[in-house]
Amino acid sequence: MPSIEQKDKSGQDYWRSLNELADTPDFQEFVRREFPNNADTLMGEDRRSFLKVMAASFALAGLTSCRWPEEKIVPYAHRPDNRTPGKPVYFATAMEKGGVATGLLVKSVDGRPVKVEGNPSHPNSLGGATPQELASVLEMYDPDRSQAVVYQTGKQVVSKSWEQWSEFIENHSAALRQKSGAGLYFLSEATASPTILRLRKKIEEQYPQAKWFEYEAISDDNEREGTRAVFGQPYRPLPDFKQAKIILSLDSDFLGAHPAALAWSRQWAEMRNPDGAFMNRLYVAESMFTSTGAMADHREALPAGQIATLAQALIARILQHESLKASSSLDDLKGIYSTAPATHFPVDVLDALVDDLVHHQGESVILAGSRQPASVHAIAHLLNHILGNAGKSIQFAPAPEPLRPSHKDAIAEVASALQGGGVDTLVILGGNPAFNAPVELDFPGLIAKAKHSIHLSLYRDETSMLCEWHVPRAHTLETWGDARGYDGTVSSVQPLIAPLYDGKTSCEVLGSMVEGEPVRAYDIVRKTFEDSRYKPTEKEWRTFLHDGIVADSTFEKRAPAVDIAGVRSISGSSISHGEGFELSLYEDLFVYDGRFANNGWLQETPDFITKLTWDNALLIAPSTADELDLNEEDVVKITAGERSIEAPVSILPGMAPNTGAIALGYGRTHGGRIADGAGVNTFAIRPNGESILQGVTLIATGKKYALAATQDHHAIDDIGMIQEGDLSEYKENPEFAQEEGAHYPKLDVWEPHEYNNHKWGMTIDLNQCTGCNACVTACQAENNIPIVGKEQVTWGREMHWIRVDRYFKGDPGKPTVTPQPMTCVHCENAPCEQVCPVQATVHNDEGLNVMVYNRCVGTRYCSNNCPVKVRRFNFFNFNYGLKEVEKLRMNPEVTVRMRGVMEKCTMCTQRIEAVKIDAKNNRRPIRDGEIVTACEQACPTKAITFGDLNDENSRVTKKTNDSRNYSILDVLYLKPRLTYLAKIRNPHPALANASEETHGKHGHDSHS
Amino acid sequence: MTTFKFPKWSNKLRPVVGVAAIIPAYFLFLIYYGFAPSTTDVGYAPKQPVPYSHALHAGELGIDCRYCHDTVDQSKHASIPPTQTCLNCHSNIRSDSDKLLAVRDSFATGMPIEWVRIHDLPDYVYFNHSAHVTRGVSCVSCHGRVDKMEVVAQQETLSMGWCLDCHRQPEKHLRPLDAVYDLDWVPEEDQLVIGARIKDLYKLNPSTDCSTCHR
Repeated sequence: MPSIEQKDKSGQDYWRSLNELADTPDFQEFVRREFPNNADTLMGEDRRSFLKVMAASFALAGLTSCRWPEEKIVPYAHRPDNRTPGKPVYFATAMEKGGVATGLLVKSVDGRPVKVEGNPSHPNSLGGATPQELASVLEMYDPDRSQAVVYQTGKQVVSKSWEQWSEFIENHSAALRQKSGAGLYFLSEATASPTILRLRKKIEEQYPQAKWFEYEAISDDNEREGTRAVFGQPYRPLPDFKQAKIILSLDSDFLGAHPAALAWSRQWAEMRNPDGAFMNRLYVAESMFTSTGAMADHREALPAGQIATLAQALIARILQHESLKASSSLDDLKGIYSTAPATHFPVDVLDALVDDLVHHQGESVILAGSRQPASVHAIAHLLNHILGNAGKSIQFAPAPEPLRPSHKDAIAEVASALQGGGVDTLVILGGNPAFNAPVELDFPGLIAKAKHSIHLSLYRDETSMLCEWHVPRAHTLETWGDARGYDGTVSSVQPLIAPLYDGKTSCEVLGSMVEGEPVRAYDIVRKTFEDSRYKPTEKEWRTFLHDGIVADSTFEKRAPAVDIAGVRSISGSSISHGEGFELSLYEDLFVYDGRFANNGWLQETPDFITKLTWDNALLIAPSTADELDLNEEDVVKITAGERSIEAPVSILPGMAPNTGAIALGYGRTHGGRIADGAGVNTFAIRPNGESILQGVTLIATGKKYALAATQDHHAIDDIGMIQEGDLSEYKENPEFAQEEGAHYPKLDVWEPHEYNNHKWGMTIDLNQCTGCNACVTACQAENNIPIVGKEQVTWGREMHWIRVDRYFKGDPGKPTVTPQPMTCVHCENAPCEQVCPVQATVHNDEGLNVMVYNRCVGTRYCSNNCPVKVRRFNFFNFNYGLKEVEKLRMNPEVTVRMRGVMEKCTMCTQRIEAVKIDAKNNRRPIRDGEIVTACEQACPTKAITFGDLNDENSRVTKKTNDSRNYSILDVLYLKPRLTYLAKIRNPHPALANASEETHGKHGHDSHS
Repeated sequence: MTTFKFPKWSNKLRPVVGVAAIIPAYFLFLIYYGFAPSTTDVGYAPKQPVPYSHALHAGELGIDCRYCHDTVDQSKHASIPPTQTCLNCHSNIRSDSDKLLAVRDSFATGMPIEWVRIHDLPDYVYFNHSAHVTRGVSCVSCHGRVDKMEVVAQQETLSMGWCLDCHRQPEKHLRPLDAVYDLDWVPEEDQLVIGARIKDLYKLNPSTDCSTCHR
């Protein structure tokens, strides 16, 4: 087998890190050794203490009797209808984030929720889910959640009973009503819940002088402002990617961070089929690497501040294009955008883009990112209008609450009222403004100026510590409620379990302040529907709860007319992009604005592009690092205006030059045991909700900070791992992906297995994988995979059964990216099985490579012999010492592994068995698509397909026979059951030659 | 040439050598049989919180197994019945018996009765009742003649070897589906012939792969 060492460096196509590209000794170490040097020593426990521990466990062993401890069976006293002990039940619910709900199906086993999945009938999920939603079940069981009402005055902190809280709020509300609510301020997180809206009306009636504000640190403010300027009122753009042949993203991560990303990436991926009616072409201009950028056919790294210039140049070019010259209706716009400013965007790509856009009028979509100023949003939607996309490939729906102030204005108004002493009672419903409010407001210092302050929150966090009352909040999986999806679909929120730590919802707190409202959340929500136009009958109500949505309840779509005066007013405004270093503050795909920071699953999932866990870091391009003489893990002092923070540097190929990016939401101080101390708080330099800071200075401090990045872990020989080509190339030679494998002899070393019944297989379509990490979190939840902590991750001991490898290709200044989910490929010729001395890993008669935990003695030979490095070893009892409440979230169908045991992907054998048993119980065959693995279920783009290869009509058989299908590491003739479909890029024909040198060759000739 | 002879004094060592050989053998025997499920588990009959007699209910009164264990053909659990099930009859029959005190308590308070598990498989074994009873494996094959037990006791070893005996040769235990819950059913012809017929009829091919029971 050719190895990295023998490889001719000049011929190397793919690389995962700069270390690998430069072939540093560090990287060599990762390839040669399964785990980094010394990783197999017991950290933190020297030999002596180890012996002590062992002696103690022997002593304990002697005390127990021959039988294992007596177990109790606890049946129901009154078993609910349709409840079969041991059979999982699914409930439709929804999780709201930033005012947008994603529909979920939550699996409950014997009364406890264990697994969250996307709701296929919910338009904002379509069956997929993001890691944040998938991990919400862990958050619900989090023992760090606050468990009592806390009251504090001055330095005195006491916990109060719920009765005391109710008494206070009732009396206090009565007093406030007397004053008609003067000085009553509400500060809520964004919500579109119809119940909250109804209660707000009641509040307005009963407290006429009360004020309601909404604040989110990560907000669509700019989009609302931009569409308001163009169309006269804020609109929510609803693109239809099924009709979009050309897509332009101006710094928009619509496949990753956008609230509608799940649905949009599904639509987008469906139109990436090279054999379909058409294959879309994606242009992206962005300052940092997002998953959208990684998926682009043409990605250009531009400092975020220069995207506005690009947008102006683009609209000017389009308006001057001959195909639009004649239309006099655009004369006003031509006057406004008359000149194309000089831009750093490459001219040939801009030419191609203009060419594509004007030749696909009514068939393109232009989106601007939430970090971009309103003027860029305005241009993006003007372009959609000019090109005739509006009403065809993109629709517009009036945004909810058109008159509300923007989030940054709202928080500023609350702050000034607090400053002026006009606030009697401040009710903060969710959110964490003391942590994430604009820094110049000094919000933490202002809370004390309110006479009374109340904070409803899951954790006793930074804001709760400063408020008079802290009221524990019920988790979304514990309570009744309602919400609306991105397109407005009314969604049900229903409890899977009674609140574990008591806790109330926003509805209940508001309800307790309104006269004539019921007490229970269920009744409050039910009342909303009784009072609404739906007025559901009991049967309709149950259907609503069952489906999770009200059918046809989307926002009304309109074709808005352009308001020239508004355009004129906004066209002049443009952000200054002076010389100097520019810093983007981006929303983290895991911890979001910090609210999910105490979730270990999210903290430990490696970021798609940086592969960082447990930290945020300042991302800069290799060229910028050279210029500033900075290295990986150097700590720099970042100064923006008069504020500064210190953060470690991580060098990310593909960043725009002289630009940095760092995630928000880290560096919590009162977030819980997991959140505290992870990363740097970047809200500390974020003024006025800005996400792009200009004129930032970086000063090396000379300190180093260890980052836990997994990019070099499980390094494997990349020969034949990735196959990709251009669309034209594919059309010419559809079998290009299989050519490399054809060179190697196909000789079985062992007697081949026979598979007479089922033959399970899986395919992953690299053309559809956006690298969103949903599969990783779904697998973690399904298979009881522990988190190991930052220190253990640095030693290469992360336990994820599926990982998303990210391969760079080409020039480190301008690489292309291919994500590749990698898990056990279930080789028919499995090298691991041959070396196990105790037959703990064996083949079953359906072709699964199974791991028998109770046989495993932990030699790790199998892992050493695994060519794709997907086996994980429990160096410690990572599941040991869990609190009782944490044990409740374990999937009862999967063994909880202990120390010294090897484990790996089982292709969800528990799900296979469940369907097999049910099918045979009912004497019916297994339908294709009936067995869905956890990763496949969560995948938003349906890139993963699982099924029976013995069934010639199954989807997986068809995909296995697809001409794009290839096996990894064909040189080893593993006969893997998990095969991949080659990635096809679709560059503009005029630019295809330019990129030839970066792909083109398929590897084998350079590695022979 | 002189042949080697053990010196005379070595004769005195003979009993010591004998004992030295016996001690490890004794320990091996003790561990092998002393820790075997046939020793530790068979016959295990813990005291239950309610002195419920299967011999009376299932045997004498002839109540079907599924009247109480109603999920046995749908779920992995055969399910201990909810308290409600007991009171379906006992709200009228012997409704004031002292033996039913715990049952009435549970019904009134809603708190469950805590039964002691008798047939306890290791946590890494995933046994499914429905997968067996719907394929013609009778209750009696694993649980014995429960309809004759005053106090339920474990009858079989439930060891992995015991499971595999049947998975390798299911015809020894398969019976027609209408006889699955008939504990005193006697085959009219040779069991192996009937078993083989059922096996063919339902295309039963019990797997002996690890992943069948271990996940």
